Amino acid sequence: MVTRIIQIVLSPLIALVVGVLFVGLSRKIIARIHRRYGPPIYQPVIDVVRMMSQRSISHGALFELGVVFALAGSFVTVLFIPIGGTEVLGRAYPLAHGVLCPLSGSGGLLVVIYLMLLAPLGLALGAGASANPNASIGVSRKLLLALAYEVPFLLIILTVMSHYQTISITEIVARQQQTAWGVLSMPLSAVAAFLILPAMLGIRPFDLAGAPQEIASGPLAEYGGRYLALLALQKAVHLFVVIALFVDLFLGGGVNLATFLLKMLAVFLVVETISAVLPRVKIENAVKFCWKWPTGLALLQMVITVLSK
Amino acid sequence: MDRNQITKWLKSPGKMAHKYSLHAVYFCTGCGIIEIPPVITTRWDAERFGIIPVATPRQGNLFMITGYVALKTLKAIIRTYEQMPDPKYTVGFGSCPINGGMYWDSYNTIKHLDKYIPVDGWIAGCMPRPEAVFIGVTHLWTLIDKGMADGYLRYRKNYAAYRRNQEMVLGELDWPPLYPAAGETEEVTQ
Repeated sequence: MVTRIIQIVLSPLIALVVGVLFVGLSRKIIARIHRRYGPPIYQPVIDVVRMMSQRSISHGALFELGVVFALAGSFVTVLFIPIGGTEVLGRAYPLAHGVLCPLSGSGGLLVVIYLMLLAPLGLALGAGASANPNASIGVSRKLLLALAYEVPFLLIILTVMSHYQTISITEIVARQQQTAWGVLSMPLSAVAAFLILPAMLGIRPFDLAGAPQEIASGPLAEYGGRYLALLALQKAVHLFVVIALFVDLFLGGGVNLATFLLKMLAVFLVVETISAVLPRVKIENAVKFCWKWPTGLALLQMVITVLSK
Repeated sequence: MDRNQITKWLKSPGKMAHKYSLHAVYFCTGCGIIEIPPVITTRWDAERFGIIPVATPRQGNLFMITGYVALKTLKAIIRTYEQMPDPKYTVGFGSCPINGGMYWDSYNTIKHLDKYIPVDGWIAGCMPRPEAVFIGVTHLWTLIDKGMADGYLRYRKNYAAYRRNQEMVLGELDWPPLYPAAGETEEVTQ
C-alpha cells in the first residue's frame, strides 16, 4: 500500500522531468541538424519559469478549466503505464509487485485509450472558450488529426490485445520479456505505430494543429503566462506517455527504470531525427496518409495475428 | 550555465528567466524584418540565447518594431503592445522608429515611437546588421539586471499621457483604455 502511494506521487514526477528533458533535447537535436549550436538542454525549464512569472490573461472559467483538464488527463494516463520493472543487476526485487506502475492492477489498455483523448479534448474546450478564430481552426485540425491516427491506433491496440489475449499492459510487458518483443512478433503493427508516432506527438510532419506560421500556434493562440507554462508541461508529459506506450507494447518495456528510459530515448531520437528534416503536411494529406499506410499495415497484421491463433 | 550566475538565479529566478527566454514578437513594419531571418536561423542562431519568435503577442515578452511606423501601423502596434502580458520589453530596430529616419518629412509616418508606447532600447542603423541585434540583446540583459527595462511600468504610470499622445495622431481610439483609472492603480511588483 505504502509503495503504491509513493509510486502514485513519483511516477508523474518522473514523467514530468523526463518529458521536459526530452523537449529540451529535441530542440537541441533539431538545432544540430540545422547546423546551429542550439539552446541549452534546460531551456524549457527557463521558458516555464519565465511564463510563470508573467501576468496571465484569462478569458473566463472554461478557458482555465481546459488547461487543468488537459494537464490532469496527461498525468492520470501516466499512472496506468508501466515504466519498467524493479530488477537491478540480475536480482529481482519484490518491491512494488515487481513493476513500476501505480495502477497496474486495474484498467490496462482500454483505460489508456480513453484517457489519452482527454488532453486534446481539454485543450479544445479551453481554446474554444477563447473565441479566437485561429484557435478554432487549430482545434478542428487537432480533432481531425486525432480522428486520423485513432483508426490505426485502435487497430494496433486490438492486434496487441488479441495476440497476448489480455488487456493488462504489465502482463503484455511480462510476456514480451519471456518470449519475443512485440516488434518481432507483430512487425507490421510496430511499423504502423511508428508511422503514427509524429501525429500522436504533434511534431513534424504532423504539427499542423499548432502551426505558428499559418494559424498563430492554433489552440495556444490566446494562452499566455502561467496557462501557457502549464500547457508546455502538458505537452512534455504527453510526449512521455506516447513514447512509453510504444516501448511497452513493442520493445518489451524495461527490466528496470534505467533500461526503460534508454529504450525511450532511442525511440525518441529516431522519431525526432526523421521529423526534423520533414516539412509540414496539410490536414487532408495527413488524414489520407494515416488512413492509407498505417491503417493498411495494422489491418494486415491483425488478419495475420487472428488467423495464426 | 555560468557558475557565477547560480546565486543570481536563486535570488531572482523570474528576472533571470526573462533574460534567457526572450520570446520575440517581431512587428514587421518595414524593410528591417529582412535582417531577422538570418538572426533566428542557421547563420547567427539566436536560439542559443533562448530568443525565438512566437506567433501571438500573448506568448511573447520581447516586442521588436522593425522599420518605419505609419499611422495605420501605429494603431496595430499599440493594440499588439497592450495585448502582451507584463513584464514585456520593447526594442525599436533601425533609424525609422527612433527619429523617422529617411521618412523624416513624411506626412504619414510618426517620427518618435517612444511618444506612443514606452521603448526600452534602440538598435540604431539603416539597416542594423544581425550582430547589432545581439549587441542590443546583451544591452537589454544589462537593463533587465539593473531593473531599468521598466517600460511596462512607465506605461502603466503615465498611461494618461501616452493615451493622449496616441489620440493626438490617431483621433478617437476605438478600444477602451487599458488602465481606466491611470495613476491610481496598485503598485506592480516584479
